[in-house]
Amino acid sequence: MGLFSVLKKGACKTAGSYKLLITMWVITLLMILLVAMPLKLGLKLVFSKSFAADKLLDGFDAGLAGDMGNAFGNLLGSATFGGFLLLLTGFLLYTFFAGGLFARFTTTYGSFKVSAFLKSSAHHFLTFLGIGLIMLLLIAVWTLVIIGIPAAIAGTAADDPFAVLTVTKIMIVVWTLGLPMWFLVADRARIWVATTGIRRVFRALGAGFSSLRLRFRVSYLAVLLVFLVNLAFVVLIFAFTAGAVPEQGFLITLFFLATQALFVLRIFLKAWRYATVSELTPVSGQVQ
Amino acid sequence: MLTLSVFTNGQAIFQTPLSPRVTGYDIIGTLNTTDHTVSGKMLAWWVNTSAAPVPDALLHMYLNAFSSTKTSFAGAGRWTAAGDEGWGWVKIKSLTDSEGNDLSGQMKYISPDDGNVYDKTVLLVLLAKPVEPGDTLRLNIEFESKLPSPIVRTGFADDYYFVAQWFPKFGVYESAGVRQREADGWNCHQFHPNSEFYANHSVYNVSVTMPSEYVAGSGGVLIEEINNGDSTKKVVWRAEDIVDFAWTAWPGYKIVKDKWRGVDITFLTFQKGLRISDKQLEAVKFALEYLDARVGPFPWPHLTFVDPPAAGAGAGGMEYTTLFTSSGAGMVPGFLKVPEMVTIHEFGHAYFMGILASNEFEEPWVDEGINSYWEQRIMDNYYGDGYGMVRLPFLKASDTDLGRSSYISSPSRSAATNDLPSWMYPHGTYGMMSYQKTSVWLHTLEGIIGTETMDNVFREYYRQWAFRHPSGRDFINVVSEVVKKEHGDRFGEDMNWYFDQVLYGSGICDYKVISVSNSKITGYTGIIEGGDTVAFARSDRKADSLYKATVRIERIGDMKLPIEVLVGFDNGDEVRELWDGKARFTDFEYEGTRKVVRAVIDPENKIDMDVDRINNSWGRDDNFPASRRMMTKYISLIQLLISIITI
Repeated sequence: MGLFSVLKKGACKTAGSYKLLITMWVITLLMILLVAMPLKLGLKLVFSKSFAADKLLDGFDAGLAGDMGNAFGNLLGSATFGGFLLLLTGFLLYTFFAGGLFARFTTTYGSFKVSAFLKSSAHHFLTFLGIGLIMLLLIAVWTLVIIGIPAAIAGTAADDPFAVLTVTKIMIVVWTLGLPMWFLVADRARIWVATTGIRRVFRALGAGFSSLRLRFRVSYLAVLLVFLVNLAFVVLIFAFTAGAVPEQGFLITLFFLATQALFVLRIFLKAWRYATVSELTPVSGQVQ
Repeated sequence: MLTLSVFTNGQAIFQTPLSPRVTGYDIIGTLNTTDHTVSGKMLAWWVNTSAAPVPDALLHMYLNAFSSTKTSFAGAGRWTAAGDEGWGWVKIKSLTDSEGNDLSGQMKYISPDDGNVYDKTVLLVLLAKPVEPGDTLRLNIEFESKLPSPIVRTGFADDYYFVAQWFPKFGVYESAGVRQREADGWNCHQFHPNSEFYANHSVYNVSVTMPSEYVAGSGGVLIEEINNGDSTKKVVWRAEDIVDFAWTAWPGYKIVKDKWRGVDITFLTFQKGLRISDKQLEAVKFALEYLDARVGPFPWPHLTFVDPPAAGAGAGGMEYTTLFTSSGAGMVPGFLKVPEMVTIHEFGHAYFMGILASNEFEEPWVDEGINSYWEQRIMDNYYGDGYGMVRLPFLKASDTDLGRSSYISSPSRSAATNDLPSWMYPHGTYGMMSYQKTSVWLHTLEGIIGTETMDNVFREYYRQWAFRHPSGRDFINVVSEVVKKEHGDRFGEDMNWYFDQVLYGSGICDYKVISVSNSKITGYTGIIEGGDTVAFARSDRKADSLYKATVRIERIGDMKLPIEVLVGFDNGDEVRELWDGKARFTDFEYEGTRKVVRAVIDPENKIDMDVDRINNSWGRDDNFPASRRMMTKYISLIQLLISIITI
């Protein structure tokens, strides 16, 4: 199977799982709203019926921070702490969902209902959490070795901060090119769990590493390609979200819908990688 | 100016001196890059313009601030040397007067500000005989200056040198009356963490020998650069009518030249700094144009500014009139106009402290505060459509508002008055008070008297006080004079009422719309008298169509400023009320068929001193699109981050 054929198959399989993706989106949104709505209310309470709020219409006017006094610090603190909790919960939630998605993409026959998706998610959760945490740790070490240490050495050796910047830029490229291999290990480990049903973190990781050589060129290129598409998409969403300044109610509703549509697409692209790697991975047993 | 012709041997820059030139310095020095010293000989002269003999002389010995961690500058962990070779000092090897009298035994260090015995930044020299009125004191001084490291304002880092406060320099001898002084005397302060400038406008002839590969710049005009043929060169500068002379040397400097009208601009930067040299030069030219039009002419035909490399970053953001340093070039993202702001601010000191040579030690607000006010005006005028510091689609910040935020959000905004000497501000309030609070009340003053009058105040301030030593009181007197001339008695006999509150007081300004109500004026309901029968009358509320509308305003803070209140009605009418703001509250009442739908205190946001503008208005409808948009962004951002951190 060629590269594009695999990518296409992965995309089709992901698209066919749209109900699962929408389930993920709805649950994520509800979770975030639990924090976002009180923040919105807090902002409304601060400004009450004051026209000072008009200064927020065309982007956030930093000059207002002083007028908001302690309320600004409180709101910012709540948003930051709330955001941290959401990220923590979100990490656990998406690790949970990954269990269902890999179960879906390694199931070669029959339909896969939302209930089965959630059941599989729950079934694999702890194993996937272990794999996820270890892989994040490994990626952190990879980041330190590839970017942190060279930048530190450059910083000590050269007085010119621009030299550090140049070294850092080069190493970021190297880091980016290496990242798909870690994804491949993580995905293959999870596929191994999903297909064998064995819930052993280190055995799964061992399977993931040992299967790296399998169809390496196509696998690496496919994951790299999907990763780059994801990266570009993330940058696009961020630029759009940060840059858009709709001022009226209707436009803001449209803006909300657009950001959510983009996020659903983002989930699709993430799941696309899972599906593509699943397509590239032989059935269980062979990857051990 | 007879003395001038005696001592100056360089080419004159001005045919007519800009200042009285009561001091001057001829310095011949050598930069030793091995032990990081500048050793030299100097002829320093001072003219006694007072009416009485002066028996002594006071000299700044500011490099001694870097001689230990116990000095007033370095104390409390503010600075320490980077190893043994990092300490800095200035030593006088010999000191004689023009008659050959050895005065080196007549020297003693004093600490007039804080009595710190470890601080040796002010030297008192007892003269062999008093200097008679009109006479000139000439001191021949042989000195050695060891530059400190790390650089804070002055010093060295590897082969980078920024050499400021490096030679023994006269304090200012003030005659009675100058800056409201009661008796003649020297004004010579120690070197402090927050202040270092108060000096006479002087003439400098400076010659420095340094390694040939060094690129040098200074606040003077380059007279000549002579190759000595021994891997060294001699650089000769001359400067006139500036309050301090600093110079810099580094082999890595890149030079960019530009011109604004008759001013030759030299920009010294580093390789990567060249990328934004256009922006830096543009910033200087904006500032030149703005201040020239609104304050007074920039009189010197030369201006040098420096963007130090990272190693010399400690020299950034400093001002020596015709030489100043910016900072941050290439290190700050382009949307954040910090390098431009620093450039404009430091250039502005050429006016506020350079030309108008106020005393930064005793009245930092006259120097830093006024300069910050102009920096903010220039930034917000030229950049970002009113948002001079940041102008992004989702975030905007005006330089003026950032300064205001710093003041209004400070928990210590009322901890002290605004007129303290630099080293006396409590609780770390020096910066907030001297820079920000002052700029806030200057913007407020501009809002009250109008921009045109404000500009005329500064034109007059420049006209009266250029190349002299104005005090804060002198500035206030100019304000009163110009306001009276342009507005008559509208603001009272003088403007002291304003400065008594904002400068000499510590209260805050806060006006608030307490409530707006619209109640129906009903007809009579009750007993109708007459005859033997009791009758009752009941008004028909539905039929009544008259309203009594009331807008209640309160003064929360202690400060009393005249304010405007804009009252809007449901039929589109608007009424602008004026209130002197003195009482604790006032009510505006209206009777008629219209209802009040909004009330806004200070609708044009002229009163920057008001510490809470959110409570200044009432009437916005409950729909709050901005909060919805911000929450949408928050949700989207969190979603995105969750999707990124999960593998």
